[in-house]
Amino acid sequence: MFKRIWSLVIKEFIHLINDWWMPAFMLFGGATELLLVGWATSRPMTNLPLMVLDRDQSLASRAVVVALENTGTFDLQSQAPNLATVHNALERGDITAAVVIPPDFDNELASPTGYPSLAVLLNGAESTPATAALQAVEGVVREMGERVTLRRLDLNPDEFARFNPSLRVWFNEALNEAYYTTPAELGLMLEFTVLFFAALSFSRERELGTLEQLLVMPFSSLEIIVGKSIPVILVGFFDFLLMLGAVHFVFGVPVRGSLPLLLVIAFGYLLVELGKGLVISIISHTQHQAFLLVMMVGMIDFMFTGYAAPVESMPRIAQIAANAIPANHWLNILRGILLKGAGLEVLWPQILALSLLGVLIGTFSLRYVRRALD
Amino acid sequence: MSFRHLRAIVRKEISHIIRDRTTFILVMVTPTALLFLMTYALTVDVKHVPIAVLDYDQTPTSRAFVEQVTNGNDLDLYAQVNSLEEVNRLLVHGEVKAALVIGVAFERDLLSLRGMNLQIIIDGTEPKTGGFAVERIGGQAEAFTGELLAGQLQSLGITLSSLQPVNLSVRALYNPGLKSRVDMVPGLISMVLGFPALSVALTLAHEREHGTLEQVLVTPVGRVEFLLGKMIPYVVVGLANVIVIPAIARAAFSIPFNGSLSLFFLLSAIFLLAILGMGMVVGVFMRTQPAALALSFLVIFFPGFFLTGIFFPIVAMPEMMRMEALGLPGTHYAIITRGIFLPGVGLDVLWPYAVMLVGLGIAFTAVAVFFFRKKLG
Repeated sequence: MFKRIWSLVIKEFIHLINDWWMPAFMLFGGATELLLVGWATSRPMTNLPLMVLDRDQSLASRAVVVALENTGTFDLQSQAPNLATVHNALERGDITAAVVIPPDFDNELASPTGYPSLAVLLNGAESTPATAALQAVEGVVREMGERVTLRRLDLNPDEFARFNPSLRVWFNEALNEAYYTTPAELGLMLEFTVLFFAALSFSRERELGTLEQLLVMPFSSLEIIVGKSIPVILVGFFDFLLMLGAVHFVFGVPVRGSLPLLLVIAFGYLLVELGKGLVISIISHTQHQAFLLVMMVGMIDFMFTGYAAPVESMPRIAQIAANAIPANHWLNILRGILLKGAGLEVLWPQILALSLLGVLIGTFSLRYVRRALD
Repeated sequence: MSFRHLRAIVRKEISHIIRDRTTFILVMVTPTALLFLMTYALTVDVKHVPIAVLDYDQTPTSRAFVEQVTNGNDLDLYAQVNSLEEVNRLLVHGEVKAALVIGVAFERDLLSLRGMNLQIIIDGTEPKTGGFAVERIGGQAEAFTGELLAGQLQSLGITLSSLQPVNLSVRALYNPGLKSRVDMVPGLISMVLGFPALSVALTLAHEREHGTLEQVLVTPVGRVEFLLGKMIPYVVVGLANVIVIPAIARAAFSIPFNGSLSLFFLLSAIFLLAILGMGMVVGVFMRTQPAALALSFLVIFFPGFFLTGIFFPIVAMPEMMRMEALGLPGTHYAIITRGIFLPGVGLDVLWPYAVMLVGLGIAFTAVAVFFFRKKLG
């Protein structure tokens, strides 16, 4: 039996090597993409183009401009001569935000009962940078307001610094974006690689008409399934190691928990995704179909990985559905082990859930695929 | 180039797509269905963030503060705990995303204007929820102390209209609530319309894999005719989606459409030609469907999602990535769709992006045709 499975595995690898693009993509595509995407997206929001319309042209208004520059968020464009220029630039999408300083700003600020005002115009057509810009402007205004109040009350500013709550960040002291984005991106690439590879296994043979040949050979259906699965798992695991290396060494994400535990769970997770991929592979008659189905399934899973929005904020029904998504548990485990240094005693509910899903999906997949092959 | 030849190839392609009902339905609905799914997935408003409270003070003031913070839908009081160890345990288990630590003498310090003994602890593995918690708790703390301070100062005989003397008026144009959904939907159109391109890459590789390419090439059909004929049905598939998307965006997500519908269709057609050209290049170079699929994933799908500015703004990317982003048709098209949907601008503003799309379309198609000739000798 092992000899027969071995020959099947050899066959799969011959297929892979025949077209050298395939192994290149399978082995290194995910990691390369992770490097590119991680590099592009794991940075703080800076360089946002900002325009200032300074109608006051005073010392105080220039101080505002300097304070805005010092936030590090903005790339200050030339001063706007009038409001029409500002609107035009916003409409063209050339700037993220514009700050308008009214003519009496300096006087209002200096007068003990004055009420100075500023206006900020934001380009809502790109809400992510606009929100970052708004937060930076709000920070500048808050700080300025505090100073004005204290000056008016004739109080020592140092005493009042203590009215701000202190902040502590656990597991990610420097609030490094990469800690959060790159593990999720790793999860996404890994899932798609394994799902695709598995989903193409039978659909490809069927489309090319070689499935029948395989079936008339002296292999049992179980042997065929195992033979098809081994290369997928090997490639998937290699991919995982490579991407984990990239996440750790390139993006500096720590591995605070137990690495062996992570590797064991990763292996189990790959088996679960493999089970899903094989079912898609047997349902699909062509590779094209398999591809489109994987897209649907993969994107539904992606919704529940917490990459863009926390599961806790989703509607109740989506939260319940999230329990049935292996990728959701897997990412919780991945983040837990990498960043929180969590072990079995903490992660057992997620591991248990993943195992249960694995047994369910695995049994179903095995029975379904075997029946279809027989 | 003969129109008759082109028509024959288009007919052949259409019969390929339609013959297999499942594939046909999948090809047709994938773009819109994914737009739907991804919008839901990517634009959930953060709310009901579970937090823990560790109150060392246990006074009416501290309890009033906790009450004020956890009032509303933003932050939910998950547990009142008694020690930092418990806070730690809840954070490691992921049961709470943030914790509020109220120090001893919180009330006394506040009432005597000596400061505020308050600490916020957040789970740094989820910066989005953590940052949200900090922002909300910080805002509440400011409001709380402001009210208290104003009262205290008044009793000392100082009247202040407001503790924050600088007024900031905020106006977000085109998207008053700065809701990410409003700009995410138009942006995502550029990504989901990449699927027809992936399909084109697959069908080209399919012909080669099955050896039917040679059969077509011995007919009097020219190579350009062949490639164009392959593209046209998928342009139609894409445009069918383009027609329904503004209506769906409006009905399901209340996204406004302020620009010209005909301009949107025109530029969408140009974008489809460009992105399908990209699919052709992939299909021409790859000999098998799995390889074509993998490559189109790496150059069309992932970059279309992460690098076209719909998810992460291009201005904030490193210089080199910005250059790469400009080589992707999706980048220009995302600017176009957002411009047409939200400010409702016309060609006078959008022409540079339209020109870039045309240029990229011509470049990709030329590369595909050139190498298609060469490879088949």
